[in-house]
Amino acid sequence: MYLIGNIAIYLGIAISIYGLIANALGIKQKSGKWLESARGAVLSLAFVSSISSFLLLYILGTSQFQFKYVASYTNESLPLAYKLTAFWAGNAGSLLLWAFLLSIYTAMVVFSKEQKNPMMPYVSSILMLNVLFFFTVMALNANPFEMTDKIPADGKGLNPMLQNPGMILHPVTLYMGYVGLAVPFAFGIAALILKRMDSEWIKLTRRWTLLAWLFLTLGNIIGGWWAYLELGWGGYWAWDPVENASFLPWLTVSAFLHSVMIQERKNMLKTWNLSLIILSYILTLFGTFLVRSGILTSVHAFGDSNLGTYFLVFMAFMMLFSLYIVMTRYTLIKKDSSPIEAYFSKESSFLLNNLILVAAAFAVFWGTMYPLISETFTGTKVNVGAPYFDKVMAPILLGLIVLMGICPLIAWQKAVIEKFLKNMLWPLAMGVATAIILFAAGVKGIYAIVGLSATSFMFGTHVLEFARGIGARRKATKENVLKAAFKLTVKNQRRYGGYIVHIGIAVIAVGVISSHAYSSEVLKTLNTGESIKIGEYALQFNSLTEQMKNGNGVVVADVAVFYKGKDIGKIKPEKIFYETWPEPSTEVAIKTNWSQDLYVVLSSWENKDKVTLMVKVNPFVSWIWTGGIIMVIGTAFALAGGGPASSRYQINKGLKTVGR
Amino acid sequence: MSKNKKIISGLALAAVAFIIMMFSTMPSAGSKEITISDLAENGSKFEGDYIMTQGLLNKDSVKWDADKLELRFEIYEENQGTLQIFHKGIKPDNFTEDVIVLVEGFIKEDGVFEAEKVQTKCPTKYEGEGMENYDTQMHKEIYKNDKQD
Repeated sequence: MYLIGNIAIYLGIAISIYGLIANALGIKQKSGKWLESARGAVLSLAFVSSISSFLLLYILGTSQFQFKYVASYTNESLPLAYKLTAFWAGNAGSLLLWAFLLSIYTAMVVFSKEQKNPMMPYVSSILMLNVLFFFTVMALNANPFEMTDKIPADGKGLNPMLQNPGMILHPVTLYMGYVGLAVPFAFGIAALILKRMDSEWIKLTRRWTLLAWLFLTLGNIIGGWWAYLELGWGGYWAWDPVENASFLPWLTVSAFLHSVMIQERKNMLKTWNLSLIILSYILTLFGTFLVRSGILTSVHAFGDSNLGTYFLVFMAFMMLFSLYIVMTRYTLIKKDSSPIEAYFSKESSFLLNNLILVAAAFAVFWGTMYPLISETFTGTKVNVGAPYFDKVMAPILLGLIVLMGICPLIAWQKAVIEKFLKNMLWPLAMGVATAIILFAAGVKGIYAIVGLSATSFMFGTHVLEFARGIGARRKATKENVLKAAFKLTVKNQRRYGGYIVHIGIAVIAVGVISSHAYSSEVLKTLNTGESIKIGEYALQFNSLTEQMKNGNGVVVADVAVFYKGKDIGKIKPEKIFYETWPEPSTEVAIKTNWSQDLYVVLSSWENKDKVTLMVKVNPFVSWIWTGGIIMVIGTAFALAGGGPASSRYQINKGLKTVGR
Repeated sequence: MSKNKKIISGLALAAVAFIIMMFSTMPSAGSKEITISDLAENGSKFEGDYIMTQGLLNKDSVKWDADKLELRFEIYEENQGTLQIFHKGIKPDNFTEDVIVLVEGFIKEDGVFEAEKVQTKCPTKYEGEGMENYDTQMHKEIYKNDKQD
C-alpha cells in the first residue's frame, strides 16, 4: 500500500514531465505522434491521481494508522463520513485533492470536442505544469502516504470544529473553484502564444469559468455558514486574511464574467480580459500561499510554513511567464480591439462595473496586506481588521448594487436616455417606497436604510425585466403567465440566469446589511429559573444536564424561550467533550424564523445551577443562505444555457459557440 | 481625444478618488501589532493606541468572575515578559495552557491591558495534531516562528 501510494506520486511527476516534453516536441516537429502521446500522458495522469486518491480514501476509511496522515486526522470511533472527508483535513491530502481535480479537468479538456484545436497542446502543457507542481510538492514536502515510526493504537482524531457538514463541503467546493480557474487561464495564455486574438478562448472556456465561479460562490457561502454554526461568535464573515484570500478571486472572476460579454459581442477590452483571468488565476495561488505560509497574523493558523515558499516560487514563476507573454503580444492585441462607441451604453456601464469590482478586490488586497506594507515602511505592523473593511467596502458594494439596478436597463451600443429614464421609474419608486416604509416603521440607521433601499431598487429592476420579457412574450404567443415566464427564461438562459444571480445577491444583501446593522447581543450569567430579555425574546434557564451522545460527553443547558410572552419551545445550547480533545467545543443552538435568528451559546458554567449564556438576535441571516441558493440556481441556469448571445448579436459569425 | 481615452481618464479620476478614500480611512481603523516585551518595558509609550498583541496563556492565572462577566489572565513570552489582561466578556473556546492568545485593546496606566477582543489561535486547530500528546514545546516553536515573520 505504501509502495503503491508513493509510486503513484512519483509516477505523477514523471508522467507530467513526459507529457510536457511530448507536447513540446509535438509542437516543434509538428508531429501528430508526439501530440497523441502527450494526450496519452494526460490520460495516465488522470489515472494515476485517481489511484492515489482512492488509495488515500481507502486507508482513511479502513483506519490504517501506520500512515501518518490517517493517524493524524482520524481515529477509530470517528463516523465513516468524517473519516473519508479527513482527506482534505490536512495539507498533504488537500494537495492530493488539488492534483486529482486538476488532472481530471485536464483530461476533460484534452479529450473534449475541441481536441483537434491547435491551442490544445499549449493548454494541456500549461495544465500539466500545474499538475507537476502539485505532485512535486507532495513528493518533497507533504506526502500523504508517509509512514509513522511505530504504529499507534488509535489515531489522534479529527478536530471537532471540522466535524460539521459545512466542513465536508467548504474545502472541496473552494478547491473546485480554484482549480477550475486554471482552465480559462491556460486557454487565454495558449491563445496569446498562438497570437489568436479573437475571442475563441473565451467562448471555449465560458462554462469552465462559470462553473469555477459557481464553486467559489458556494465555497465562500458554505464557509460563512460553517463559521456561523460552528465557531460560536455569532458572525459569518470576519475579514480574516484567509477569508479574504478566497474572496479576492471571486471578485476578479465576477468582473471577468461581465467583461467577456463585451469582448464576445463588441470585440473590446481584450487586454483587460486577459489580465483579469491571469490575475484571478494568480490570486488562487496567492490565496493558498497566504493560507499556508502564516506570514500574516490570523486566527487561522496552519502549521507547515515551508509549503508557502513553494507556492510563492510557483506563483512568481507563473506571474512572470504570463507577463512576458502579454508584453510580447501587447501591440497585437491593441491593433485588434474596437473602441467604445458611446458613453451611455451597456459597454461603458459594464466597464464601470468592472472597475468597481476590481477596486473592491484591490481594497481587500490592500487591507489584507497592509500589516506587511506598513511594517516595511514604518517598522510597526498595523492590522486593519474589520472596521477598515466595513468602511471601505460598504460604499463600494453599495455602488455595485446601484449599478446592478441600472445596468440591465441600459441598451447596448447607444442607449436612449428618455427610454432609460422611463424604465427606471418603477424600480426607483420601489427603492423610495422602501426607504419611506423603513423610516415610517421607525427603523434607525441611515446607512442601512440607504443600503436596503438600493437593494430594493435593484430587485425592482430585475423584477421589471422579467415582467417586461413575459409581457412581450405573452403578447406574441398568448401563453399564460407561468408558461411564458418559463419559456422566456429557458430561451435566454444566459441572460435570465444572470438576473436570477443578481436577485440572489439582492437577497444576500438584505441579510448582510440587516444582520450587520441590527443584531443585538446579551451576555449574562444565570441561576436556575432566572431569565434574559433580548429584543422580543425572553429566555429562561431551567437546568444543566450531562449526557452521552455518539460516544462523546455533552453538557446541555435547557432553556425555555418566549417570544412576545408566548412560549415557543426550548433551545438547547451545548458543549461537547470530544474524546480526543481536552477542551469542550461549543455547539450553538439556533432558532430561525423568516426574519431573525435567535442564536444561543453556552459559554461556561460554575455549577449545575449557574451558567453563562451568550444570546444574539441576528436579523435576516437566513436570507444570506437563501440568497446563496438562488445564486447557485441562477448560475446553474446560465451554465445550462447554450452559446453566447442570441442571434441578435451575431458578430463573430462562423465560430463555434459551444463551450465545454 | 477619442472616446476611449476620455472614458479611461474619467475612470482614472474615479480610481484616484477611491484610493484617497481608502487611505483616509486607514489610520483610524488599524490596530498596531506590538510585542509583549515592548509593552512590558515601556507600556506608557503606547497609551491611547489600539494595540494587537499575542502571547502564550498562563492557565493558572485565569480568573473568571461569572457574575460580573470579567475575565483576567496573563499571557507571556518566554524570557521576554508577561502581560496582565483584563477582558469584559467571556472565555473563548480552547482556552488551555500555552495556547497562543491574540488580544486587541488598550494598555492602561497601571500596565494592565484592557482587551476588547480575545481570540485563541491554535496551530493545531486545522492541522489536527491530537491534544492528548499536545506538545507545548512545538507550540512555542510555532509561536517563535510566527514572531520572526
